[in-house]
Amino acid sequence: MALLEIEQLSVAFDTDEGTFPAVSDLSLTLNEGEVLGIVGESGSGKSVTMLAMMGLLPFNARVEASRFHFAGQNMQTLSDRARRRLTGNDIAMIFQEPSTSLNPSFTIGFQLLEAIRAHEGGSRRQRRERAIELLDQVGIPAPAKRLSDYPHQLSGGMNQRVMIAMAIACNPRLLIADEPTTALDVTIQAQILDLLMRLQEERGMGMILITHDMGVVAGAARRVAVMYAGQLMETGASHDVFREPAHPYTGALLNALPERHPGTTRLPTIPGVVPGIGDRPQGCLFHPRCAHAQKDCRASRPSLEARHAETGLGTRHVRCYHPLNEEDLEIMS
Amino acid sequence: MSRPDLLDVSPLDAPLMEARDLVQTYQVRQGFLRRAELHAVRGVSFTLHAGETLAVVGESGCGKSTLARMLTLVEPPSSGELSVDGRDAASPDRQTLTALRRDVQMVFQNPYGSLNPRKRIGTILEEPLVINTSTPADERRRMARDMLARVGLRPEHYDRYPHMFSGGQRQRIAVARALMLRPRVLVLDEPVSALDVSVQAQVLNLLNDLQQEFGLAYLFISHDLSVVRHVADNVMVMYLGRPVEVGSREALFTTPRHPYTQALLSATPSVNPDERRDRIALSGELPSPLSPPPGCAFHRRCPHARPECADKRPELREIEGARVACHFAEEIMARPLTGAA
Repeated sequence: MALLEIEQLSVAFDTDEGTFPAVSDLSLTLNEGEVLGIVGESGSGKSVTMLAMMGLLPFNARVEASRFHFAGQNMQTLSDRARRRLTGNDIAMIFQEPSTSLNPSFTIGFQLLEAIRAHEGGSRRQRRERAIELLDQVGIPAPAKRLSDYPHQLSGGMNQRVMIAMAIACNPRLLIADEPTTALDVTIQAQILDLLMRLQEERGMGMILITHDMGVVAGAARRVAVMYAGQLMETGASHDVFREPAHPYTGALLNALPERHPGTTRLPTIPGVVPGIGDRPQGCLFHPRCAHAQKDCRASRPSLEARHAETGLGTRHVRCYHPLNEEDLEIMS
Repeated sequence: MSRPDLLDVSPLDAPLMEARDLVQTYQVRQGFLRRAELHAVRGVSFTLHAGETLAVVGESGCGKSTLARMLTLVEPPSSGELSVDGRDAASPDRQTLTALRRDVQMVFQNPYGSLNPRKRIGTILEEPLVINTSTPADERRRMARDMLARVGLRPEHYDRYPHMFSGGQRQRIAVARALMLRPRVLVLDEPVSALDVSVQAQVLNLLNDLQQEFGLAYLFISHDLSVVRHVADNVMVMYLGRPVEVGSREALFTTPRHPYTQALLSATPSVNPDERRDRIALSGELPSPLSPPPGCAFHRRCPHARPECADKRPELREIEGARVACHFAEEIMARPLTGAA
C-alpha cells in the first residue's frame, strides 16, 4: 500500500531577483516499509522536497501539487492543526549536523523527554523509562546516565543516535533521513547506517534517505531517485540504476567517482555548474552539460517516461530523449 | 597521483620533506589547577620527494590536523626532527623560518571559511606576495592574473568577491593562493570533501596537473579512501595520534595489514555491487586522547584483539614492504576477516 503519494510537486521561491523554481514536476510514491534513496548534488532540490512535505518551508515558498497524500489522507485539504498532528506523529526527520540540531543549552534527557511528552504523554516515571528504552535501542551505552549529559559532552556519532532516538520516539510510519551520516567518520557512518537499517526493518517504517553519496544509497536503498536542478532525472531499482544508468547525468555522476578509475590520473568530469536562478536553460535542464545533447534536447523539456518493463522493484523512469545505450556504457567503463 | 617517469626527478633525489619521530604534546586544563598532557601526535616519520603524494588517512581526532600544523610550521613540534629541503624546520631561527614557510603552503577543507568575504580575489591572491616579498604592485597583479588562468579561472575574476563563486571555484582560488609563493610542498587538508562529486573530479584533476607542472610534493589529508586511492603514492593510516600502517598505495589497498585499515576499507561505501564487501563492523568510538587505552590504542575496537594487545603497545615494523603496528599482522593478513556480524 502506498504510504506516500506525490504527483507533480513544484516548489518555487519568491526572491528579489525573481521566482526560483527549486523543485518542478516531481512525482514519487513510497510504499509502507520501503526505503527510497534520493541522490543529487547540492542545489538539486532534494532537501527542499522533503521540507515541503513536512510543511517546514519559509513563507516565500509556494508549494503546489496535483496530488499529495500521506497514509491515505489528502494533505492539501487538511487543516494546519490536523496536518501538524499527522506530520508530528507519523513522519519524523533527522538532519545532517546532529550537533546543530540539538539545543546546546539543554540536556539530552530534557530534549528527548520533551518529544515524548508532546506525543505520548504518560507519567513522569513512564516517560523517563521510555527515554532510557529509546536510548538503549539506538545503542547508547549506559543510557540512564547519558540523560543528564549535554550535547557537547557526546561525540557526533552519539548525538546522531540521540536524534534517531527522538525521531523514532513516536513510532513514525515514515522516517526522512537528510544526509544522516555526512558529518560523521567512516567507521561511525557504517554504524549509524546499520542502526537505521535495523530500526527500519524492525519497525517496518518507510524511509527516505537523502544523500549526495551514491555509495551510501547503493548499500542501503533498493530504489533510488536521481535529482538534478529540482527535477527527477531517473528512478529505478538502485542495483540496476548504478549498474546501467540510463540518464546521461546519472552516468556522468557515476563516472566522476574516483573508485571507477583505479590507476588513471585524470577523472572524467561534468563541465559547467548546476543552473542557478538566472541561467536556467531552455529545453532539458541538463543539456548544456550533457555530452549526448542533440537538437531536440535544446528545444523542449523531456518528461519522465517509463523505460524498461516492470520488474519486481518498480519501473525504471528516465527523463531523457536519448537515454544511454549499451554502446555508451561500454565507452564509459 | 603522478608517475615518476613523467617527471625529471629520480627517486634518488634528496627528499623535499623529511620527518622523524614527530611528537606534539599539548598541556590542557582539566578544571582548576589540574593539568593534563594531551599527546596529539606521536611517532610520525616519513619522507616526501618532489612530485610525490603522501596521503594521511584517519578519523577525527587522530592527529591529522595537528600534523598539518606542524608541517606548515605554524607550530613547532614538541620533539622530533623535521627538515624541509635539507634545512632544519623543527627549531629554525627566525630567518630560516620565514624562508621555509614560503616553501610549505596549505589548502583548507572549507573554501567558504578560508577566503575572506570582504576582500577581492586579486587582493586575496596578492596577499602572500605583499607579506613575504617586495614584488612591485604591477608585477603582483600580473602574477595573480596568470595564476587565475593557471587554475582554470578567468582574468576578469580578479576584481570579484568570494561569494560570487561556487564551492569548486573557491577551492581553485584557495589552491591559487597557496601557489602564489611558488612553494615546493603543499599540505592539503581534506581539499575535496566539501565538494560535490562532479566538482571533486575537476579539482582532483587540477591538483594532478599542477603537481606535474611544478613538481610539487603533496601531503594529502583525507578520510575518503576512494579519493586517497586515486591520488596517493604512499599512504599513512593514523589512529589516535600514531601511525598504524604506512606503505605504498598498492600495498595498502591490495593487502591491508592492520585491522583498522581493513575496517576503514570495508566501511567505505561503494556503488559497485560486485565490489561491495562485507562490512567489518567496528564497535565503539575513538577513545579520548587524554586517556588512551593501555597497550594497543585500537584493541578495544579490534575484532582480532587478544589479551596481549592490552598489555604491550605494538611498534611499527616492516612486513613485506609496508610498516604496520600490530602484534598479529602476519596472521591477520593471511586470513582477512570478512563481515564480523
